[in-house]
Amino acid sequence: MTTIAVNSSSSVLEQKRISVGRFIGFTILAFIVLFAFLTPLVWPVDPTKQSLRNVLAGPSWSEPLGYDHLGRSMLARLAAALRLSLGLAFLSVLTAAVPGVLLGILAAWKGGIVDRALSILGDVSLALPGLLLVLMLTAIAPDSPWALYVGISLVLWIEYFRLTRATTRTLITSPAVQASRLLGFGPAYIVRRHLWPEISPMILTVGAFGAATAIMAIAALGFVSVGVRPPTPELGLMMTELLPYYEEAPHALLQPIVVVFLLVLSLNLIAGRKAR
Amino acid sequence: MTRTLGYRLFQALLVALTVGVLTFIMVRALPGDMAYRIAAGRYGYDMVNTDAANAVRTELGLDRGGAAALGQWFWDLVRFDLGVSVVSGEPVIDEVRHQLGHTVELALAAVLMSLLIGPPLGILAGLRPGGAIDRGLLLVSSTLRALPHFVVGLLLIIVLATGMGILPAAGHGEPQNLILPALTLALGLAAVSSRVARDAMAGVVSSPYYAFGRTKGLSEAQVFLRHGLRNVSVPIVTYLGVQFIYLIEGVVVVETLFAWPGIGHALVHAIFARDVPVIQGTALVMGLMFVLLNALVDLACYLIDPRRQTA
Amino acid sequence: MLRTVSALTLGLMLGIGHAHAAAGDDVLDIVAPFEINGTDPSTAGDLFLKMGVAETLVGADEAGKPIPALAASWELSDDGKVWRFKLRSNAIFHDGTPLTAEAVVAALTVARGKPGILNKAPIETIAADGNDVVIRLSEPFAPLLAFLAQNTTAILALAAYDDKGRVTQVIGTGPFRISLLQAPQKMTVERFDGYWGEKPSIRAASYLAVGRGETRALMAESGDADYVFNLDPASRTRLSRSSKVSVLSVSIPRSILLKVNAGDPLLKDARARQALSLAVDREGIAAAILRYPAAANQLFPPSVASWHNANVPPLTYDPAKAKALLADLGWKPGSDGVLAKDGQRFALTLVTYPDRPELPLVAAVLQEQLKEVGVAITINSTNSSEIPAKHQDGTLQMGLAARNFALVPDPIGTMLQDYPPQGGDWGSMNWSNAEFDQAIKDLSNISDTAQGQPLRDKAVSILQSELPVIPIAWYQQTAAVSKKLENVRLDPFERNFGIASMRWAQ
Repeated sequence: MTTIAVNSSSSVLEQKRISVGRFIGFTILAFIVLFAFLTPLVWPVDPTKQSLRNVLAGPSWSEPLGYDHLGRSMLARLAAALRLSLGLAFLSVLTAAVPGVLLGILAAWKGGIVDRALSILGDVSLALPGLLLVLMLTAIAPDSPWALYVGISLVLWIEYFRLTRATTRTLITSPAVQASRLLGFGPAYIVRRHLWPEISPMILTVGAFGAATAIMAIAALGFVSVGVRPPTPELGLMMTELLPYYEEAPHALLQPIVVVFLLVLSLNLIAGRKAR
Repeated sequence: MTRTLGYRLFQALLVALTVGVLTFIMVRALPGDMAYRIAAGRYGYDMVNTDAANAVRTELGLDRGGAAALGQWFWDLVRFDLGVSVVSGEPVIDEVRHQLGHTVELALAAVLMSLLIGPPLGILAGLRPGGAIDRGLLLVSSTLRALPHFVVGLLLIIVLATGMGILPAAGHGEPQNLILPALTLALGLAAVSSRVARDAMAGVVSSPYYAFGRTKGLSEAQVFLRHGLRNVSVPIVTYLGVQFIYLIEGVVVVETLFAWPGIGHALVHAIFARDVPVIQGTALVMGLMFVLLNALVDLACYLIDPRRQTA
Repeated sequence: MLRTVSALTLGLMLGIGHAHAAAGDDVLDIVAPFEINGTDPSTAGDLFLKMGVAETLVGADEAGKPIPALAASWELSDDGKVWRFKLRSNAIFHDGTPLTAEAVVAALTVARGKPGILNKAPIETIAADGNDVVIRLSEPFAPLLAFLAQNTTAILALAAYDDKGRVTQVIGTGPFRISLLQAPQKMTVERFDGYWGEKPSIRAASYLAVGRGETRALMAESGDADYVFNLDPASRTRLSRSSKVSVLSVSIPRSILLKVNAGDPLLKDARARQALSLAVDREGIAAAILRYPAAANQLFPPSVASWHNANVPPLTYDPAKAKALLADLGWKPGSDGVLAKDGQRFALTLVTYPDRPELPLVAAVLQEQLKEVGVAITINSTNSSEIPAKHQDGTLQMGLAARNFALVPDPIGTMLQDYPPQGGDWGSMNWSNAEFDQAIKDLSNISDTAQGQPLRDKAVSILQSELPVIPIAWYQQTAAVSKKLENVRLDPFERNFGIASMRWAQ
């Protein structure tokens, strides 16, 4: 996650001057990623280990973020939940982007019947209620994150497909691409030389938005008790579980909320100011 | 235009087919004994037992083959019959009308409220890109977009309902019950639609025709009404069309928080209780609504700006 | 377009101006988690009974004893097989038709044909005889009166059913009649002037099903609801400090219990089950999760006096003894801390369901506590029906359930279902005890409380030593009630909200 974020940020740096917002976004994200992955190394506490004596105890030196309603370490749980959310979001974006982009290029390149068929596929999948898809998948494979991941990817891929197809269609008729084709360069060259530079910044934007959407969706599904089951730490689930104690232990409820907030904010900043 | 609408019709047919087959296959793939799940949905956890499950199995003929059941569904569909809920025994069409009706009501109210909040602010910001309003709006909209819906909803309840006591916390039936859940959704929508409007407006403001409008001596308001509004409307309408359908799916969290009867709630329960007719009926109606909405957006964009040819 | 939009939204906003009426008017607003699953008493009878819409032939007092309801009186033949119920002459249905023996027979016959409780009684015939209803049994069955007080046997008018026995509209005899029914969430009722009994003081009431506990609590706090049923522990703590509502609680005959498969090689020996029981810190669970004194040291709480046996040695927490018992059985700690014997690990799967939100929490705590004595638990939190389903196919190892012993007002009804020889869906599994079976069988023929007491005490003490189910906690029902409301009593059998006897404070 970190390396890729850094790589793409440097390529962005080369192309355009980096905006302040993007920089802040990458910084916050880097901190969150570091927190998620370093915590278990520095603080090797089992996120499911309970101590009923410490129920809802506030932060202290021995437990920097306090305990939840079953006396489990909030620090360990937050880090574990973040790893799950980040991992799922990253995977869903990746699995949505790769086929989405490839099919988009294919549709625009081949045109005709291939284009029609793929466009219809895209339109029909868009019309399928995404909520239904995710609910059914999580019911088929209860308590496994992969159902969430597949469901979210299935909803996300269409956007990459549509954008890539639209961009490629205009590019392919451009003089530069026409010239390359006449000179006998193969598709691989054209994609690398002409299409990718145009598509990649767009994918970063859509990808960051997609990751933010995925994280919000996972949290929302956790909130309605669909998806991952207790005692697995998950941000939405933690919010639901801690919600009843909002008055007794606001510090505990606020933690997953703040983390989701920062994560989504950083991704939105990375995506750039231009909203969808 | 006719061509586009013809395509939408074709799309509607495909959606019906896909929804039917896909939900059918997925429901069959769900783990657990269907008869037991239906019995639990009907009689509750205190009363579900093997006798109840066996009674359900006999009553619904759950032993019959899958192909026969799917064929039956399509045959009924051709006759505009969505069947009967296996849990409540009510016709599916009535349940969908009741549940989806509430969701659409909520979503519409949210869209209307967000229209009052988002685009006006966005347009105001877009008129002076980089100005104080623009920056302030960016901050507020980024914050709202990064907050989960239920956090916003809970804050609204605590402030407006339990704190100030001017609005009911939850429930449905009275018009004022609609305000808090709709506002929760509207704030999230406005956060984005204000940005869409702002970007569109900034683009229009920097365009030559807009500058020309000013040069020829029109007042700021006149320029906006003659040259601005119409051009800004297209992206906003397109965006709202897409958002509306996401909203219908996304309301599930808001529905549970505000005890609002709706389609998200109904779907979750139908899947838990293996209520296949309800799942299929709901999915079908939602898919068709999506197609219809797209057709309406096409039409609206065409009316606002006849030059545009839909791709 | 913008103009229409703003007009519409303004109209909406103006709604704010009117002080929200919800709880300000004289309609009693009730909020509870139970959804309305339809119109049939077999699925939604509990709510029709709770709201005072429908009534049963026999009622129950606060101790669960049968009292006259639609039947003014009854008598039993000497051989204990023929029950004759005399109907109230002045009872009428909400559609104006009088309560007749034919209507009762029809309603009971339909109820018997559907899943519920009546099909579990040894009934031969249900017939009308003048204005009496006569039920003939194949063998004496004392709990019949309790069965007839159960909500799936609620009596609806003939016009309520279609020709296939499906309920098309709810026409009961209760003090309130339905004015609006919006399944699955909403129902409003109004006072029925033709009611045979005392006229209620409350004119109208509304019922709203709200699944989320926090929302229910917020509705009580904001005054949107006058009577909020079933509070989560955290909200109860908060609301008890509120000046607007009072929090009521009552001990109810429902227990969290661990159903264990006594046929499983790991759990076959009663000592293994006793060890599991000793490893459970019930006080800790009660204090942390349920937040009231709820530690179940036997199956029934003291409030169910006839089934609570004060003389049995209470179940205790003693992990050291638990370890010793397991060691006696030949289990030795493996390298991963889990006990093992002959290459087999002491690992079990526990099935539970999230419909009651405290169950997965209790399961998580049990998992931790059993880990301490070297027992590895995998939690499978799924649909409630998985427990009976897995009981039937024999794959269940352990199930954590919140069992209602007041399915009918007399716990014997539940005991007969759950603890027959070799077990029942929600009770014992692959467990039998000749003495216990005989005691339960005899109890179903004895209607006199005092006469049955030794048998009940014996049954409870056998359960306590053999542990075919391991009791974990007893429940309390809690409700938040607006201080404007008077004369509110919680029904320990959860049969009735008691709207008919409530009144607004003057």
